[in-house]
Amino acid sequence: MSIIINLDVILAQRKMKSKELAEIVGITEANLSILKSGKAKAVRFSTLEAICKALDCQPGDILEYTKN
Amino acid sequence: MKTHQLLSILKFIFWVLFIGFLIKAGALVFNFGWSAWNPEGANNIYLGLDLFELRDASIGQFVSVGSLLITIVSLQAYIAYLVIKITNVGDITHPFTQEVAHLISKISHTALTCGIISIIADQYCQRLIKKGFEIPLTWGGKEFLFLAAIIFIISKVFQKGIEIQTENDLTV
Repeated sequence: MSIIINLDVILAQRKMKSKELAEIVGITEANLSILKSGKAKAVRFSTLEAICKALDCQPGDILEYTKN
Repeated sequence: MKTHQLLSILKFIFWVLFIGFLIKAGALVFNFGWSAWNPEGANNIYLGLDLFELRDASIGQFVSVGSLLITIVSLQAYIAYLVIKITNVGDITHPFTQEVAHLISKISHTALTCGIISIIADQYCQRLIKKGFEIPLTWGGKEFLFLAAIIFIISKVFQKGIEIQTENDLTV
């Protein structure tokens, strides 16, 4: 897929664990893992908003487009 | 009435149908086999079905009619079994699975087979009736073809449902 999820990088920069983020955002760790691994088919705006709020970043910091 | 209760009632009904068809198929196999050796048995094969005239005239045609009837009843039993399987594997909270789609598709193919065999049997019996034999059987081939077509459309809709559910499951 040409959309890359940089959630791992942002989490490392913020020194936050996945479990912690999942709790703040209100999604399961399994769903967060789906998002991190790039298996997700879609991301809800509400989830994206909660992630950006928790990590204090912009959607563009998490999502990146690359040409195949 | 709740869906769960309705499904339980349907499951019970299909168990009754399945056992009924199995008993019918078993009785037909036994009685046709018995009548092949003992022509008097053809007077009452199953619930008053009288094929004595046909048995007396030609054992080959008698066995052919019997084989077609047993095949159709067996296929009906198999359809009832597949419906029971759907109620066992199906989860009403998560209904769209490949297994259920496969079973629905199988029901459609079995109903189509049943319809084709019923039409062949009907044509065969019509020919025998024209020859002067009395065959008190109704086959209902067109109804099975109609059923097969409807179930085939449902299986296609179900496939689309699986795609949507998968997408929904992978939406974070």
